[in-house]
Amino acid sequence: MRFPAFFAFAFLSAIAHLALYAADEMPSITAENFWRIDWAGLLIEGPLKFALVGEIFAQVFGSYASLARLGKFLIRSAGVALVLAAAIAAAYTPKDGVFGIISGAHVLEQTIYLIEAGLLASIFIASSYFRLSIDRPLFGIALGLSISACVHLATWAVIANGGWANSTRARLDFLNMATYHVCVLIWFYYLLVPARVSQKPAVPLPENDLDLWNRELERLVHQRLPQP
Amino acid sequence: MTLAFILVIAAALALVFILSVTLSRNQQISRGVGLAAQIQPIDVEAFRTLVDPLEDDYLRRRLPAAEFRLVRRERLRATAAYVRTAGRNAAVLVSMGQSALSANDAQTVDAARQLVDNALLLRRNAALALIRIYVALAWPNSGMAVAPILHGYEQLNGSAMLLGRLQNPAAPIRISAAL
Repeated sequence: MRFPAFFAFAFLSAIAHLALYAADEMPSITAENFWRIDWAGLLIEGPLKFALVGEIFAQVFGSYASLARLGKFLIRSAGVALVLAAAIAAAYTPKDGVFGIISGAHVLEQTIYLIEAGLLASIFIASSYFRLSIDRPLFGIALGLSISACVHLATWAVIANGGWANSTRARLDFLNMATYHVCVLIWFYYLLVPARVSQKPAVPLPENDLDLWNRELERLVHQRLPQP
Repeated sequence: MTLAFILVIAAALALVFILSVTLSRNQQISRGVGLAAQIQPIDVEAFRTLVDPLEDDYLRRRLPAAEFRLVRRERLRATAAYVRTAGRNAAVLVSMGQSALSANDAQTVDAARQLVDNALLLRRNAALALIRIYVALAWPNSGMAVAPILHGYEQLNGSAMLLGRLQNPAAPIRISAAL
């Protein structure tokens, strides 16, 4: 299997959301137990998301020996900076003394999505700077996950910090759900619909002045280059 | 609420960037052949002279300190322009090499992989060299090691030659002298 972390994430995330939906609908489940189930889901989903980000990173940078060390350094630096930023954001997020289990879940959501969105943005920035071509299925997975992470970060930041009315929070919940469904469609599209086969040949290198080329070749052949 | 505002702005910026990368990726796929035209020629000899430490030593001995700093800054700005162009050319060659990775011929694939690796190395070194140049602009008397860029550029040239020859054996002379 090429994307084990992605399939584990998709499978367990679906189960966690179904369990949460069932807990919400069943009258026998108390509000407190509902939030406990939500916490359990978050604690399973969080590490899975980071494993998935790691899988994306490894597949984007892993095949280029010249970037392996730099890539690891960049992603680790970004990770440390993001954990620090998420900790500061969590420290400044207002806590609810009465319903700590709820505000705690909101802060945890904000923390997970802040780190996830930051790491994914870092991967996109680095791959764009080096013009690395990401193959279609991997790009689809990264794109869907990134859109989901960015939208969820924004909504959970508002929910956790805004002190808004429940009706507004419910609307943001719908926005989250709608975004997630769009991302699932993106994953289906990129994973199941084959890419259009291009008839174009590989990009030819440019034609140039023969004299200049010969001169350059001669210089390269006769030059004593220092060993790398 | 200020924190929420900051995080919403950050999320929106990240989203816009990621979507713009998606759009440019689609354009790159449809553009393909236009890549070669993006390569900008570099005068390698002039570049070599600019980064030669002996030249710097000579100027340091001959010129008064204030004048040397002025001249050195001008040379550094020119070097930065060369390094930026070399970095951009490397990025174009990464795209070109990657487009050749799907070739049927194993030798071409090997040459393409070597070109991509050399180009990535050069792009990385160009970014680091630019940082060093900007530091040297602030302290013109400090040393600066941009020579690896030149060496990397020459290696890249060799890789591009090899790939071009393998892609089109009938016309081995077509390779990137523009580099």
